[in-house]
Amino acid sequence: MDLRIEHLSKTYGNGTRALNDVSLTIPRGMFGLLGPNGAGKSTLMRILATLQEADSGSARLGDIDVLRDKDSVRRTLGYLPQEFGLYPKVTAEDLLDHFAVLKGITNGDERRRIVDALFEQTNLQNARRQQLGAYSGGMRQRFGIAVALLGKPGLIIVDEPTAGLDPAERVRFLNLLAELGENAVVILSTHIVGDVSDLCSRMAIIDRGEIRLEAEPSTAIGDLQGKIWQRAVDRAQLAEFQRTHSVISTKLAGGKTVVRVHADAPPGPEFEPANATLEDVYFAALRRTPAAV
Amino acid sequence: MRPFVAILRWEVRYYLRRISTWVYFAIFFAMAFFFMLAAAGAWPDINFALGSGGKVLANAPFALASIIPVLSLFGVSITAALAGNALYKDYETHADPLFYTTPVSKAAFLGGRFMGTLFVNALVTTGIGIGAFAATVSPWVQADKLGPFRAMSYLQPYFGVVLPNLVLTAAIFFALVALTRQMLPNYVGGALLLIGYLLAGSLLADIDDKRLAGLIDPFGLRAQSALTQYWSIAEKNSRLVPISGVLLANRLIWLGVAGAIFVAAYLRFRFAHSLSDTASTRPSDVEPVGAGEAVVGDELIAPVRTTALPATTQRFDVAARWVQFRSVFSRSFWRIVRSRYFGAIVGGGLLYLIVAARAAGKLFGTNTWPVTYQMEGVLSGSFGVFILVITAFYSGELVWAERDVKLNQIYDATPIATWVTFLAKLAALAGVILTLLGVTMVAGIVTQAVQGYFQFEIPLYLQALVGVRLIEYLLIAVLAMTIHVVINHKYLGHLLVILFYIGLGLLSSFGFEHGLYQYGSDSGISYSDMNGWGPYVAPFVWWKLYWGVIATLLLIAADLLWVRGEETTANARLELARRRFVGPIRSATAGVGLAIVGLGGFIFYNTTILNTYRSSKADRHIRVERERLYKRFEHAPQPRITAITVQVDLYPSRGDAVITGQYVLRNKTSAPIDSIHLAMDEDLEIRRLDYDRPSKRVLVDRPRDYIIDRLDRPLAPGDSLVMRFSLGRIKHGFPNEIREVAVAGNGTFLENISFMPEIGYDSRAEIQDEETRKKQHLPPRERMRPPTDSSTWSTNYISRDADWLTYDATVSTDLDQLAITSGYLQREWTANGRRYFHYKMDAPILNLWAFQSARYAVRRDKWRNVDIEIDYHPTHAYNVDRMIDAVKKSLDYYSTNFAPYQYHLLRIVEFPRYAAFAQSLPNTIPFSESIGFIARVEDPDDVDYPFYVTAHEVAHQWWAHQLVGADAQGSTMLSETLAQYSALMVMEKEFGPANMRKFLEYELNSYLTGRGAERRKEVPLELVENQPYIHYNKGSLVMYAMRDYIGEARMNRAIRGVLDATKFRGPPYPTSLQLVDSLRVATPDSLKYLIADLFENITLYELKTDSVVANPAPGGRYAVDLYVTAKKLRADSLGKETEQAMSDRIDIGVFAKAPAKRDPTIDDKVGVPLYLEKHTIKSGAQTIRVVVDQKPYRAGIDPMHKLIDRITTDNTVGVRDRSLAVTPAKKPPR
Repeated sequence: MDLRIEHLSKTYGNGTRALNDVSLTIPRGMFGLLGPNGAGKSTLMRILATLQEADSGSARLGDIDVLRDKDSVRRTLGYLPQEFGLYPKVTAEDLLDHFAVLKGITNGDERRRIVDALFEQTNLQNARRQQLGAYSGGMRQRFGIAVALLGKPGLIIVDEPTAGLDPAERVRFLNLLAELGENAVVILSTHIVGDVSDLCSRMAIIDRGEIRLEAEPSTAIGDLQGKIWQRAVDRAQLAEFQRTHSVISTKLAGGKTVVRVHADAPPGPEFEPANATLEDVYFAALRRTPAAV
Repeated sequence: MRPFVAILRWEVRYYLRRISTWVYFAIFFAMAFFFMLAAAGAWPDINFALGSGGKVLANAPFALASIIPVLSLFGVSITAALAGNALYKDYETHADPLFYTTPVSKAAFLGGRFMGTLFVNALVTTGIGIGAFAATVSPWVQADKLGPFRAMSYLQPYFGVVLPNLVLTAAIFFALVALTRQMLPNYVGGALLLIGYLLAGSLLADIDDKRLAGLIDPFGLRAQSALTQYWSIAEKNSRLVPISGVLLANRLIWLGVAGAIFVAAYLRFRFAHSLSDTASTRPSDVEPVGAGEAVVGDELIAPVRTTALPATTQRFDVAARWVQFRSVFSRSFWRIVRSRYFGAIVGGGLLYLIVAARAAGKLFGTNTWPVTYQMEGVLSGSFGVFILVITAFYSGELVWAERDVKLNQIYDATPIATWVTFLAKLAALAGVILTLLGVTMVAGIVTQAVQGYFQFEIPLYLQALVGVRLIEYLLIAVLAMTIHVVINHKYLGHLLVILFYIGLGLLSSFGFEHGLYQYGSDSGISYSDMNGWGPYVAPFVWWKLYWGVIATLLLIAADLLWVRGEETTANARLELARRRFVGPIRSATAGVGLAIVGLGGFIFYNTTILNTYRSSKADRHIRVERERLYKRFEHAPQPRITAITVQVDLYPSRGDAVITGQYVLRNKTSAPIDSIHLAMDEDLEIRRLDYDRPSKRVLVDRPRDYIIDRLDRPLAPGDSLVMRFSLGRIKHGFPNEIREVAVAGNGTFLENISFMPEIGYDSRAEIQDEETRKKQHLPPRERMRPPTDSSTWSTNYISRDADWLTYDATVSTDLDQLAITSGYLQREWTANGRRYFHYKMDAPILNLWAFQSARYAVRRDKWRNVDIEIDYHPTHAYNVDRMIDAVKKSLDYYSTNFAPYQYHLLRIVEFPRYAAFAQSLPNTIPFSESIGFIARVEDPDDVDYPFYVTAHEVAHQWWAHQLVGADAQGSTMLSETLAQYSALMVMEKEFGPANMRKFLEYELNSYLTGRGAERRKEVPLELVENQPYIHYNKGSLVMYAMRDYIGEARMNRAIRGVLDATKFRGPPYPTSLQLVDSLRVATPDSLKYLIADLFENITLYELKTDSVVANPAPGGRYAVDLYVTAKKLRADSLGKETEQAMSDRIDIGVFAKAPAKRDPTIDDKVGVPLYLEKHTIKSGAQTIRVVVDQKPYRAGIDPMHKLIDRITTDNTVGVRDRSLAVTPAKKPPR
């Protein structure tokens, strides 16, 4: 079962073009959707999660028409939104049980078992009887994924899940996600390149509502191998460099400004060859977008 | 720029730029605009006004002082939104850390925000005044309903009521948000304010607590009405409501409260981070120990732990839906019921219930036995507002529950069906309502038990609360939830729900009177102990089925438009609704549509085809036409009824009555009569109507109640003929509104005027109201003609078409019922499974009689040769002995002082509570269930009103059934006022003079309030035009005072004189002038001024005691100096007063302190009389010296309130004892 998105477009009432002719094929496994803030990731996620309408185009999950047959999608959907809240006075156990009912798990025994297992898997067993108002940010994210995993979903959508988590929490969370890829289509939408490079076997880069690149990360990196150069420059020369070379990123390293340039041949004498990373792929893809930065 | 000013300006600019602010302004403007238009007569059919109406102008200061504050009250929810949002917008958007880390001081921040929101609130409420004003200058108003424009009459309500209210409510809501950082407490605050307001309203009903009620009402409306309660029409049109007295005190108190609230908020407020919208008491930044990992390190390193999750089956069938429904339902329900706020609202509501229950069914401040139907009625009536508020509020909360905590995206992405969510939430709301009704029942039972009444009749509670109220509230709940779903904006949704409630109430005023338009309506429902739920049940069921089906349609609409996901624009939702409208929903809608048409059609058929339905407009039209077509016959000679023989067959279970009978009509005029004009209710079936001689029916106008029969040979003067008739009073289906239940399953009360043919044109049926007559282009009409007009003397005011007639009646009813009418029982028998009674009167009576039938219990007694009988509902035995006692004592007094009782039987017969009055028919007194039978008179301080009403009604056997007045002004003085006087005399003998003061105080209050509500004109007592506040209330006061002045012997002799001269006499009938003349003759010359003051004019006094000082006098006595001020005023018909020079004899009284032990012969509010004599009192200030034997405690002028004075609290004051005093005595005012 894979997810085929064809020519999906959406424009908001105030004229913003959120998605412009987006087409993607997403097989089973972890798929990373990478893009800057405002690129249209969340809009796409929400459309796939049946919460928003597209203006045109189609999306099919196996046989299911995602846009029209929302009910069928919801029966096999696990969705973790970018921003969400929880009832503060309710215990985690109680709310997870309730969502299990909402997802159609009506047998009490089955529910108990799945709730137990999910708390274990997300390492919240010791906090299951606490009120959700007392949960930290990381715990809430893990609770959210527990909810999303109820009912063995075939389509799991996780929207910006690690934003706001500390490094330890982030690692924990990604470890959790890694286990999911086997039997479901998992879409991880994020602006953190590391999430994609760590987890995803396929990815797409989206910017300003358009897909810039769709590929496997390793392949994309391989394509850039040998074409990335870097050197340290003075701050004052930066503007000059950006005009004359295709600078894809500027960083600070050890107090010095280091630029990385995308070119087939060494662009200059002080340039050293650098190992291409997914970050380079990302910045390079974004740079191809015309219009002012 | 100073930070305070900057914050203030920014706040104001922020709100001025938001559309919602201007929407609120527009709402206020529109409300006031339409209100004022209606009050100023823009719509001829709408007679709806607040504070104005009748002769009070629509823009009179009093009217504006009523409209503007009341409309601003509706804006409490707007104030909650605006004032709460002043601080909440920071928390909602999490911008608070940005503000709180600036160097602004608390004072500048809180002050600036508060002042800003106050300013905006005030600005928004100006919409009311502007809207009202705009209406007055619009072209649609009637000029004669408006007075000249006075800016102050618009400004005064703002300064007196609206602005101080704003300060208070804004302070409350502002403080609530400042301290809790949530919006939810705002709603609770609003609800609690509402409670306080209703509490005050309930207390105001009990006369002693008026001042207290005026002070505790946070909105000042009760205080304002306490200041103006006795204002006459003239005052209402000209005087600005003063911001003084209890109103000023109230404003200062509540402004002080507002200040205190603000200061409290200021002190507790911190520029600190709070735990935002997930208010938890534990810090949540730190993960609780052990709440996650066993070993931190392992988790970070060890990548995968492939635990297989256990298999689960997801089900989406009907059984699954049911499980989901239950889950959502129970969570929603418990979330509401367990919250602190719900507890607060319910607690407040219970407090209010307790107060209201105390006031249940009080008449003259006396309690009734807390019978279940009454308890339930009072509780549901008072708690009903709460339930509506809670329904409105929680319907919004339920619809927004997930969105409020931002759980909606996760929730909406689950496969639960939309309708399951919606219905489960609706069920939760229903559960909350049911809980509240349960609370009502418990409160009722507890109150009953506390008051010593243990017949709880739980099935009746359940029938009333679940069978009636729950259904009504459920219909509202569906409506409220649907509104919230459709509108999709929380505050606007709340506002709209409230507007809907109000709008529903106003539909009638706008011409949509038929029940089919009015959501949730029915034909009426009322429970009587005698008749149970009676004829109301079947129609109720049909109506509620109809509305239930319509509510289902609403449910379908809500399901289609339910917001699921992030698409909230109207277009998107309509598109989604279109897509959801498939299959089962389509067929359900079709089915529902069919049901609506079917049920609606059935109801339509019953209410408009089987029964006559007329809108008020059509009804008015009919009356106008009747007058136009037939008034010319008003003075046509008509015969008068001299004998009635009638047989009535009552069918109580069906509600039918069949009447057969005959009139003997005699031509008492000097000219021949060629046609007989008849008035007959159009719903009566005329099965037979003819005469004992040839005649022709020349006009049959059933809708206008007019029939003309022309006799072939005219009836000569002095001759008689017989009219025979057979009529059917048959019930068909049910009407739009069940207005009367005359023939009841148990408790028939069928009055002759409701079915017997009337002879001649009766002008009493004409439209009385002046404005309506003008709009219909009818000539002006006097309510009644003066007693000097001799043409009025030929008819008595009770029966226009007969003088004294002979009466013979046979009535049949069910086997287990007893049927009663005026007369003496000649024979009783059974036949055909029915029971027959034949009654006959031994002397002529007035044409006023009725039939009653029920399963009575009967108590018999005797006074001299008079048989006394009380026929009552078996469980209402509480006051039967008291009534018998009252009958005996009344018969005793009246026979001794006036004339012998003309019958040897007197019956008091109970009828159901559908009407609440008692009436005197010849030897029979029908007495309503609710007016005396369930009274509870235990406290000797209470007025014994069953006794009083019985004495009054027995008196009517003299004053009406012996002496009856002509059809002119003052006629009711001869009956009602004399009956009041007679009853007062009996009461005084029974309870002692000391106890009369409380009763007279009620009479005084009723009189003063009544004259303030007069729509046309007030008249002196001798010209009373059937106005209750004059002939009952003023009459009591005047006659009691008169008796005090001239003595009981002289008084009774004067009355007896008129009685002896005129009793049982036909025309010319006596008038009030004869009684006044008789009294004048009996009055000594020095007091003859009283006749002019009390009877011939409208006189008011202002009697005040400024201070009283006592000095010791030789012989252990005391010299008491009273400094009093007196003023006498005459009022014209509109209440405009002119001062009269006075030199009147008025009581001066000095009293010693009443003993601590309660003595029923002493009025303990005043004390033991040491001195009570009349002095000549002049206008203005004067000093009076009196010497008494004991230490005086209290003294003053007219201490017993015998004279009509608007302020009764200043007649007496405590005595300053000079012998102990260190401070100098108060100087008398110059």
